[in-house]
Amino acid sequence: MRRPLAALAVILSTLTFVSACGSDEAPSSSSTDPKVIQITIDGDSVTPNGDRVDVAVGQDVELDVTADAPGEIHVHSSPEQEFEYEAGDSTFTIKGIDQPGIVVVESHTLEKTIVQLEVK
Amino acid sequence: MSPDGINLAHGLGGAKDLPISPELAIAGATAALVVSFTVLAVAWRNPRYDAATSGRPAPDWIVAIVDSTWWRVLWRVVGFVVFLYVGAAAIFGKDLVINPVFGVFYVWWWVGLVPLSLLFGPVWKAISPVRTINLGFAKISGSDPDTGVFTYPERLGHWPAAVGLFAFVWLELVYPYSTEIGPVRLWCAAYVAVMLVGGALFGNTFYEKADPFEVYSTLVSRMSVWGRRDDVLLIRSPLANLDATPVRPGLIGVVAVLFGSTAFDSFKDSAHWVKFVQNHEGLSGYAWNNLGLLTFCVAVGAIFATGTMLTGLGDDLKRRELPNLFAHSVVPIVVGYVVAHYLSYLVEVGQLTLIQLSDPFSNGSNYLGTGNLQVSYWLSYHPTLLANTKVVAVVAGHVLGVIAAHDRAIRILPRRHQLTGQLPLLFAMIAFTVGGLYLLFAA
Repeated sequence: MRRPLAALAVILSTLTFVSACGSDEAPSSSSTDPKVIQITIDGDSVTPNGDRVDVAVGQDVELDVTADAPGEIHVHSSPEQEFEYEAGDSTFTIKGIDQPGIVVVESHTLEKTIVQLEVK
Repeated sequence: MSPDGINLAHGLGGAKDLPISPELAIAGATAALVVSFTVLAVAWRNPRYDAATSGRPAPDWIVAIVDSTWWRVLWRVVGFVVFLYVGAAAIFGKDLVINPVFGVFYVWWWVGLVPLSLLFGPVWKAISPVRTINLGFAKISGSDPDTGVFTYPERLGHWPAAVGLFAFVWLELVYPYSTEIGPVRLWCAAYVAVMLVGGALFGNTFYEKADPFEVYSTLVSRMSVWGRRDDVLLIRSPLANLDATPVRPGLIGVVAVLFGSTAFDSFKDSAHWVKFVQNHEGLSGYAWNNLGLLTFCVAVGAIFATGTMLTGLGDDLKRRELPNLFAHSVVPIVVGYVVAHYLSYLVEVGQLTLIQLSDPFSNGSNYLGTGNLQVSYWLSYHPTLLANTKVVAVVAGHVLGVIAAHDRAIRILPRRHQLTGQLPLLFAMIAFTVGGLYLLFAA
């Protein structure tokens, strides 16, 4: 038992060492320009269609929606947010999210993921 | 009101964890690989764990508490009070996501049982309200709760539990209306009904072998320090405890559903899968997710079973017995991956549930006094710590799994096949761990 345990200790400490090198960039400031996402909703289809979008912690996200019918967009942040839009063009702002994580932005009406915001 | 179950994380909303960095994923995979072959090369050559002798009796004062009637009654009462309280919220509460039923069902019950069982042993067995009702019926009718009308068929083993666990993960991960009260209520009613009929027909044996939650909780408790032999409470090393897991038909099915479904939960949120599903309109997202969940569970079972069976054998064993003889070694891998996948979810949605429990009927009351607490998102604000914890949990689970499988192999395989016979299983485990890390990286 002793030798494998020693090996395990060595490996886990190596792991900690390796991972310690590649992390913790400087925190980004919240004063950057908002990330603009153009969203087109036409019938049953939505563009973008489930893409990942990198967003800085605290950065506002602007959703420019062009839709052919009224509907609802859900933002699965903690806590969740909802936006209702009319047919035509509308613009919404998701206030800067300061909790790192993946936030799904979804067309509630079509039950489709529009984008996943990778907040980091 | 949120009927949009399809894209909700793990059935309940909110932000999800960031993917782990590629450096961390590669470091974890390398560690898993190196440890695997180190164990094979340098570990012991004679089996160390023997269920008949391992462990030592627990100190008298612990036995005096744990084996006393008041202790057993206390936990039965606690379990039943929670059952009635949450049952009332399910029946009389509103169909809103702030109804605590969802958090209790998907987070406290499903995920919370894992750490509780790791720390305290078979927790669900002690608090299970269906066991309590069965006990009550037996007391009233003057019968023995342990025996039913029939003897539980040995051949069934844990298969009914595997089916029940699959039914749970299907509701959580695939069913589009998983966050509406109706389906959750129906699922729970069906669970209670099946458990009560089963208990009446087969006695307590039914709960031990077929209750999905008891099987899950008791299996995880095999990695705790608490064991029993001939009714004597033992303290033993988790690996020795794990080795004493009874080998029953269907054990492989249980671990395959547990690991396969957790992996699928990671996978279904990956951008690849979301885009794929949304671009293939021929089949609905619901159908794709059904297919995905089933494929993950079956693939895990098939890869593991193949890994165990590709070995030379003596005359005393049949090849098809091997998957269940080794299935206990997947338990640490499952636990490691559950930690990696659900840690922030358990901590954060778990707190939210405690807050919501104070207002079971969503009318603004604060019965428990917890209604004004705030959820601490401390863990999410420390993504590097979270990512490191995840990888350490996955690698540690892998190491324990490999050791458990190694000890079993040198006990049951003939000496000349012990080294080569272990290799296919080792590759299967490495595939699970590297695959799991890849999903944490790609999710």
